[in-house]
Amino acid sequence: MLIKKTRIWNFFSSIKLAIWLLAIIAVLSLLGTLIPQNQDAQLYIDRFGRSGYQAIEKTALNDVYASPLFIFLIILFAINLTVCLLNRISLKARMLGSLLSHVSILIILIGALAGMFFGHKGLIKIGEKEEVCCFTSKDKQRIEMEFSIRLDKFIYSEHIDPKEKLLIFSVKNDAIIAEIPTEIGVESDIALTGYKIKILRYLPDFVMDTSTKVAASRSAVPDNPAIEARLKDKAGQVSTFWVFARFPDMHQKMDPNFKFVYHWVGRRPKDFISKVTVLKGGKEVKVADIRVNEPLRFDGYTFFQSTYDPEALSWSGLQVVKDPGVPIVYAGFILLIIGLVVIFYVNPLIRRR
Amino acid sequence: MSSLCLNLSFGSYFAAMVLYTGGLFFAKKIFPAAARSFMILGILSLSYYIGMRWQIAARPPFSNMFESLILFSWAIAIASVFIDIKYKIKNIAALTALMSLLAIGYASLLDKDITPLLPALKSNWLTIHVLTCFLGYAALTAAFVSSAVLLCRKKEDEKLDIISYKMISFGFLFLTLGIVSGAVWANSAWGTYWSWDPKETWSLITWFVYAIYLHIRFRKGWKGKRAAWISVIGFLAMIFTYFGVNYLLSGLHSYAN
Repeated sequence: MLIKKTRIWNFFSSIKLAIWLLAIIAVLSLLGTLIPQNQDAQLYIDRFGRSGYQAIEKTALNDVYASPLFIFLIILFAINLTVCLLNRISLKARMLGSLLSHVSILIILIGALAGMFFGHKGLIKIGEKEEVCCFTSKDKQRIEMEFSIRLDKFIYSEHIDPKEKLLIFSVKNDAIIAEIPTEIGVESDIALTGYKIKILRYLPDFVMDTSTKVAASRSAVPDNPAIEARLKDKAGQVSTFWVFARFPDMHQKMDPNFKFVYHWVGRRPKDFISKVTVLKGGKEVKVADIRVNEPLRFDGYTFFQSTYDPEALSWSGLQVVKDPGVPIVYAGFILLIIGLVVIFYVNPLIRRR
Repeated sequence: MSSLCLNLSFGSYFAAMVLYTGGLFFAKKIFPAAARSFMILGILSLSYYIGMRWQIAARPPFSNMFESLILFSWAIAIASVFIDIKYKIKNIAALTALMSLLAIGYASLLDKDITPLLPALKSNWLTIHVLTCFLGYAALTAAFVSSAVLLCRKKEDEKLDIISYKMISFGFLFLTLGIVSGAVWANSAWGTYWSWDPKETWSLITWFVYAIYLHIRFRKGWKGKRAAWISVIGFLAMIFTYFGVNYLLSGLHSYAN
């Protein structure tokens, strides 16, 4: 037990050190939330001036959580925790909670370390009908998977606000005669006029090819929302036309009895779905839908719906993760919670008896 | 109907606060008893409101600032009644009632519209994560009230110190549950259990402050006013985690605005 008498052991077994380390790590983390992390030099120069930028770069405050100082503090903290545990370890029942909650922190750190060394993380930008079998991880490594993944279709859908309506005015007296919901494919009566109307299409950013007269959406960004409607008169005569939210007076030829106004309300994203197929040795082995909160797991890799092409919806961004540290971290989480419950709620019960 | 519930809760909390304060000046038993009944009425009508909103929205009503404030107010009121029944300290009861009143009052200034959930929030973890966080926040708020009152006193007060400690131990456990459930959820939604997003980082800072409180108390024997200062700092960190990060810093939690 000689080691327990050395000065360094005493240093690392002190609770004072633990409290100081917690406080210093907290302050550094705080700085990391105030100073934008991992941004281009220009942003720092604009915000803090040239000398400010130099100071930030020198102290690595633009990447605090991976800076040598931060990692050094975490290592000190881990040693401090280990030494304290070894110093106070005993198999008495009343120590159980304290033991579990402190060991759990070390387990979480080990799990994080395992993920750093043996895990890979990267982003795959994949177009429709495209097949991908490898990706570049965040540490710039090229990772080859033993299978490939193909994006069959990317689906982006939006919630239609209940306030969004197609308003129909009578040209005769300029009064509203009907408010039609803009759900696609539903045919509604226009009050008692005998006319029927149906919404055919919605385009968030309407453009028309002047030569072919084909309407399309330039992007998924709602710069020029428009809906295509089909009007059927009493005799069954049909006419289709576009109504624009931003340009209420611009429409194509339509029935002279009515005026249409598209009351558009901002739409909110409802779902991002990547329909994918997993292929191994040229054979299709799995078909799956990847959504936010519903990743695809295959062969140790997990694919998450992470981003998409907001302009043309032409590609989907899948985050690929292989992290063998996760089960270790989760085990740490469970022990931490059990430990705290024991400390705060089981120990007092035992003591009372 | 539903805004009636909200107003009823607001009115009940207000009445409770006035009655608790009245109890400080008049030593009649009717004051705290009536105040407690109003608190319970407020909690019941807010529970009904949350239940109704849950049913109408067909999803857990824990998705934005308004809904979280309602939950916060509900949880503080429960903590308040619990402390009142167990310790019977009128000014703590009055001040915790004021805290729930402030939360519901602030909520009433915000947009009450029910909006559909963003894809990132469509998960069973939403309920667990938000509920554990706000139960923790409420307990830490009650601890703050008790610590602040202790700091205003000339002498040490063991009862107030114990209330702070009890509330912090509950709050710390639930803050841990909140952070852990958030990490597990983030891992199942984005593939990363920790990404140093401002909200995550600030919750960790808050957790560190209360960890310091517990260690300095257990191992160094800090109690009373010295410990109360740390409780106040922890509360400020918690409030910044809740409001400051939403309004001042942007990150993964930005839909909470």
